Parts: sequence; structure tokens; C-alpha cells
Amino acid sequence: MTEGGYMSKSGKAAPKRRPPRKRSDVAIIGGGSFGTMLAMLLAERGRHPLVWVRRQEHAEEINDEHRNVRYSGDIELPRNVAATTDLEKAIDGVPVVIMAIPSRSFREVARRVGDHIRGDQVLVHGTKGLERETHRRMSEILREETCALKTGVISGPTLAREMMAGNPSGAVVASHYREVVTKVHDLFRGGRMRVYTGRDVTGTEIGGAFKNIIAIASGASDGLGFGAMTKSLLMTRGLGEMVRFGVANDAEARTFAGLAGMGDMMANCMSPLSRNYQVGAGLAGGEALDDLLAKLDQAAEGVPTAAAVNGQAAELGLDLPIVREVHAVLFEGRAPALALERLMKSPVGEELDYFGDRDR
Amino acid sequence: MLDEDKPRVIEEVVRRMLDEYGGDSAAVERTLFDTLYDERRRLKTTSDTAGAQALLSYYDGIYAEVSRAGPDRQAELLAELARHFAEEVSGHFDERVYQLVTRVIPWAFTVMLNTLSPLKLVQAIPGGLGSLENQVEFQGEIETFRKLDELGTTVVISTHQSNLDSVVMGWGLYALGFGPYTYGAGANLFENKMMAFFMNNLGAYRVDRRIKTALYTSVLKTYAGCTMELGYNNMFFPGGTRSRSGAVERRLKLGLLGMGLDAYIHNLAAGRDKPDIFIIPCTMNYQIILEAETLVEDFLKEVGKSRYIITDDEFSQPMVVLDFFRKLFSLDSRIHFTVCSPLDVFGNRVDAEGRSLDRRGRVVDRARYVLRDGEPAVDRQRDMEYTRELAGSVIDQFHRNTVIKPTNLLAYAMFEHLKEQSPGLDVYHLLREDRELEVPLQAAYDRVDRALKDVRKLAREGRIRLDETVAGKDIVLVVNTALAHFESFHRGPALLRRGDHLSLLDRKLLFYYHNRLVGFEVGDGGRIHEQER
Repeated sequence: MTEGGYMSKSGKAAPKRRPPRKRSDVAIIGGGSFGTMLAMLLAERGRHPLVWVRRQEHAEEINDEHRNVRYSGDIELPRNVAATTDLEKAIDGVPVVIMAIPSRSFREVARRVGDHIRGDQVLVHGTKGLERETHRRMSEILREETCALKTGVISGPTLAREMMAGNPSGAVVASHYREVVTKVHDLFRGGRMRVYTGRDVTGTEIGGAFKNIIAIASGASDGLGFGAMTKSLLMTRGLGEMVRFGVANDAEARTFAGLAGMGDMMANCMSPLSRNYQVGAGLAGGEALDDLLAKLDQAAEGVPTAAAVNGQAAELGLDLPIVREVHAVLFEGRAPALALERLMKSPVGEELDYFGDRDR
Repeated sequence: MLDEDKPRVIEEVVRRMLDEYGGDSAAVERTLFDTLYDERRRLKTTSDTAGAQALLSYYDGIYAEVSRAGPDRQAELLAELARHFAEEVSGHFDERVYQLVTRVIPWAFTVMLNTLSPLKLVQAIPGGLGSLENQVEFQGEIETFRKLDELGTTVVISTHQSNLDSVVMGWGLYALGFGPYTYGAGANLFENKMMAFFMNNLGAYRVDRRIKTALYTSVLKTYAGCTMELGYNNMFFPGGTRSRSGAVERRLKLGLLGMGLDAYIHNLAAGRDKPDIFIIPCTMNYQIILEAETLVEDFLKEVGKSRYIITDDEFSQPMVVLDFFRKLFSLDSRIHFTVCSPLDVFGNRVDAEGRSLDRRGRVVDRARYVLRDGEPAVDRQRDMEYTRELAGSVIDQFHRNTVIKPTNLLAYAMFEHLKEQSPGLDVYHLLREDRELEVPLQAAYDRVDRALKDVRKLAREGRIRLDETVAGKDIVLVVNTALAHFESFHRGPALLRRGDHLSLLDRKLLFYYHNRLVGFEVGDGGRIHEQER
């Protein structure tokens, strides 16, 4: 047996090498900020996450320097976080695979995952967006691109920077399969992220995606110098639009009162760390969208999601004024101040009409 | 099922019921009391037949004993009840009757056809008899179905509009060269004079939907599953009952549908040679549905009050049935029997080599879906979700393989016209109006033309199938074919040509035939009405 540091029989020092790594028990597909955060949380719980990244140098940075500078700065990653560029190696044999890929490249990566995933594996995602062109939810894409049936979504107020700084938070894992929620819940159990369970996959996905649009509006409101009560108005009415849109897509209204709806929306509308908030604030400050996105260097899911939701709302005949105005600001050149003015002049009706008669 | 297998199946069903309900003595006692309560209550409200009274006495006897019995005796009583239900469900198969009937049915249908015209009758004798093949057109993935039949057990499931479906399906499978199929038939069909003979001798197992108690439904499902495990091909209607609205099924009963998966898991666990269960969705498509008037009336009754079981419809009247066949065949009214893409028990498509494919066409190792700690195992919650996946795929296949007939298209176009003429009225109010409406012929042609464009686009995309008349380019022929059918059947015509106008006479029938296109993207009316969800 030759371990690093031991003398070999010849008396020469054996070449230094890493201790054998325990077999990975969870694969994280994507080494961006969300994927890195999940890997850290899991490693803190004694798991051995293997993170799939596209570039070799990115993998080496994680494996050799225990850092992911682009997404987590100088924070040192636990030693039991490893990375690979080999997708098959990442997925093969692990009981749980978590997709942490932006919506714009989700389908392409899901299709590649589909080459390797097997029917006994659990496949969940944490992507808070809708596919811009098709308006599909990520779980629908997983169904189209892979053979996995035991799928789910993990969502909630999980600002990567705050989580990586050591703050506690919570999330919800939703799936139609009890095995999925149990396995994911068990992975995180006892850690800084309290993982609750649910069954409403559609609602959980829509909540996570939709709140990004409202975060853009909130950032714009703050950028224009309005205070807490204006933001409160936007958030509350935004929640109403979220419910209306969700229910029209067969989600359960009550899901939006939970972590994946109101919970996530509060975090993103109030924290300057939210990328979508930053987009809104920057637009209010007169910056161009393309410049803002380039500066962020990471996905702001609210942008493609605003296009997807606005398009689908039109198809469904839904009136979603905040979505409409955010869409106009992002894609039609409307000034944020004018958008807010238009919202203030829009017709006012019964407040909780979106709950319908039965739920009132 | 062969009589020699019946005792094995019944004993296996009883054993599984004890596994399912006999976890502890409290569960056994609860199941006994629940079952007896449900059944005694049902029988007390049933019309006073001798059979019901005898059964009630039997249950009373068990009830009296349960209260004073110890746990072991209670378990025996549970086994007795399970056995009683299993024997009630268990079917009978007579090879001689099967051979006779499969030969006679096409001949009998042809005679009905040919008695219409003396000339045809003369032509028909001897040896000139046409066959049902001329009336039923088979299409779809028949060859894949044949190959899968050799590789595993097949479960044929079909859309359900008419009682005629059972006959056409049973005969169709025979005509395609498949062996006998085990099938669940409603108890009402065993009581229907015309159908009872077939039901009692052709391997049908009895499904009595009046019995709601949980033990019975478990026995029923398990019985079907056990027959699949033994390699008996099964067929049933996963919608549970005939479509009342005329629309293609959008919801399926999951219980029986899920038994294919259950059988598959048991087969894997037992290491059987041919463990696979293949699901073969089929659609039956007619110009005219004999029972349309009764079905749509039932659909329009207040939600929740419609009858799940109808025993007194047009199908219960032999002369009406005979007349129906005469007219149907005289109009060269083809019945389309379409074999859809075969599926595995998880809803994946299956190719002719029996391999499951994901939606990108990659081969899926399906046995992995049911592993728990590396071994195949039943997991009720997981398996229910898998069955929902299967149901979704079946519904998709049903829609893609629905054959649109001229009657559907004309009814659709005219009902949309009706809706436009009565803005603001919901479907129920629209149907309640008895005002006769005249539509200029040219306007009707224009509407049919618009609907045709939409359905042809859907057909090009593989989302629907078209009858040969609808697939042609002759709008006048589409309208005339539909009118000929509407004028010949039912108590009164749904619509009638009067000079250069069409008179819309029976809105409910129009609604019924129009509904076959609801849920497809045809005009604005393709959207699903809230009432129809």
C-alpha cells in the first residue's frame, strides 16, 4: 500500500497524491453559484457531492485549490466537494442528481444528462426560470429530455452569497414521488438549509420563476428612490399575479404562500444580492440591459422568464399588469418610471379576486 | 382464463388480500366491518331480487360471527369474503364458444348488411358474403403489436363510446390473428340479453360497479393482475365507462390500468422468462354512435347525478340494434380500429423488439424503475405515480389516433356556428333552447372548410387521424356523407338539409358529435369547456 507520504519499499518517497475519495453520493450538474452553494451545504452534512462543470480548468480549480472564484470568490470549499467534466462519471450510480443549470442552457444539458441517467435515480432541479421559447417548466423539460420519472424541484429563499457566507435559510423540495422528497430531505437534514417537502411541482416551479420578475420590479422601485411601502405594494400585487398565473397552470394557490412563493419573493425583492433585483435597480439608474447582464456575468432568470410568462399570459388571456410592464421595460424600451406610473394608473378592483370565490 | 388456472388465481388473490388487509388483527376486523357494512347497505337498497336477498343473508351470517370471533377466525372470514369476491369476478372461457362466435359474428353482421337489399342478398349467397373486414378498417402499428405479442403479455386498452366497442374489439383482435383476450365487462352486460351469451363464455370477468367496497375493488384489480402474470392477454376500457359527452377520454381509471405494472414487478421478482407487459392503446371510431342520445342526455344531467351504469339504453333493444347495423352498413360506414403506439407500463413507447424508448428515442432499461435496494419491489405510492405517467401517455395516444369522421366535422362546424349566434350563453343554456336554427348551405360549407383546414394541419403533425372522406378535398362530399348519417339514425335527425339551408334540429346530438373534436386545436372551440373538464 502506498499512500502519500509513506516510504516505499525502495526507500524512495512515493509520489504525492490525493487520498482516495469516497464514492460520490450526490451529483450536482452545474458549478455556478447555486450549484456551488448546494455542494457546500451537502459537504457540511458529510456528503460527497461531485459537481459537473463544463471546463477542465474550472474542475481543477475546485479539485486542487478548493475554490470556485468566479461564483464564490475566496470562500474555501470543503474538501469533500469534488468536480469533474465527465458527465457520465458524475451521474453513474449516484442515487440523487441535482440540476443547477440556468434555464437558457437547461434543455441542452438535460439532453446530455439523458444519455446517462437511469430509471432508478432521483433527478431534481433548482432552476428558477421558464424556457423562453416554449414556456416550459424545467420538470417538463426533464421529462422530454430524459427517461427519469422520479423527478422534483428544490426552491426557496436561497441567495447563494448569503448561504455561502454561512447564513441559515429554508427551501422546499416538491415531487409527486415520496421517495424523491424523502431522499432530498435526508441529504440536507440537520443542516443550515431546512428542507420542507411538498407535492405541488408546478406551483413550486412557477413560484421560483415568477418571483424573479417581481424582484426586477422591486429593484427598479428602489432604484427610482421609492420606499418600502411602494415595494410592499409591488410584492403583494405581484404575489396576486403569481397566484393567478399559477392557478391557470394547474398549480395550487396555497403553494405561493410558502417558501417557493412568498418566501423566495421576499428575499429577492429585499436583497441587493439578488441578481434580478440588481437588473431592476440598474435599469432604473439608466443602464442598458445588455450592459447589466454582461456586468453580472451570471444568469438573471427574471429576464427570459418575463418573456415566457408574458407570452403565456397572453395565450391564456390573463391580465398581469406588473409582468406586462416589466416586459415592456426589458424588451420594449419603456422607461421604468413610466412603467411604474402606468401601473399606478391601471384599474383598481377587488383586492383578492385571484383567490376566487371558493377560497375567500 | 382457462378453468384449470382459475383455482390458482383465486388462491393467489386471496393470499394477496390477506397481505394487503391483514397486517394486524385490527386491520382485519376493520376491513371485515367496512366490507360488510358497505355490502349490506347496498343490498338493502337494491330492488328485492332473490339473489340479493340470498346474498344479504350470507353477509348477515358473517356479520353475526365477526363480532364474537377471535383474530384467527376473523382472518379466515376475511379470506372467505375475498374468495367470494374473487369467484364472483372470475370469468369463464369456453374454447368452442370462442371459435364459434369469432366465426359467426362477421357472418351475422354481413347478413344484417345484406338483408337491406334483395339484390345484395342474392349476391351474397353462396360464398359471396362480405365479411366484417369490409366494414372494419384496421390501421396503425399492427405489426409492432404482433411482435410484442410474442415477446410478452399484451394489455389492449381502448377508447369507449359504445357497447359495440366490446364486440368490435373482441372480433378485431381475432381477425388480426391474436388469441383470446381476458377482459373485464360491466355486470350490466351480463344482464343484457344480447350480450350475456358472449360475456359468459368468452372469458370475460365480471366487473360490478355497483359494489363499491374497497375489498371488492382490490380483488378485482388483483385478479386482473394475476391473469397478466400468468401470461393471459387482457383488454379493457380504461375510461371505465362509455364517454358520455362524446369527447375522447381525458381521464382514466388508474386502478386497473396500474395492474400491468404490478404484474410486471411480480414477474421480475419471480424471475419469469417473459416478464414484460406491453400496453396497446387502440381507438374505435364510428360515424354514428347507437347510444348517442342516451349518453348525451346523461352527460347533461347535473354534475354528479349522471348514471355511471346505464342498462336501458338503445343497446338493450335488439330491433334497434339490428336496424342500426342495417343502416350503418348500407351507408358503407367504415369503423376504424386503430392500433396506437405500444407503451410499457411506465408510459414509454416500445419498439417492435420490445425495447422501451425515451422521448428522444434512446433505449431505456425499464426494470430499473422498480428497483428498491437493487431488487424489484412494489411501492404503492411510486407505482401510482408511474401509472399516472402511463395514463398521460395513453390519453396522448388516444388523441393522436382518433379518426375524425364527417359527422364529427359537420357537427363541430355547426355547433360552433350555434355558439356564435348565441353570444354569452353557456353550453347548458345553449342546449336548452329549442329554437330551430337555419344555416345557409354556403355558410355551412365555409365553416366546414375552416375546420377542415385545422384538422388537416393536425393530421399532418401526427396529432389526429382523418377518415378518408375528411382527408379528401371534397367539402360537399363531407357534408353530404355526414347528413346521410344524421338523417338515417337516431329518433330524429340532428340536422337536415332543406333546400339551400341546413336546419339544426337536435342541439344535444350536435353537441355530442362535435365533442369528439374538443381538446384539439380546431378553431376557438377546441378549448376544453369548463363543464367538460
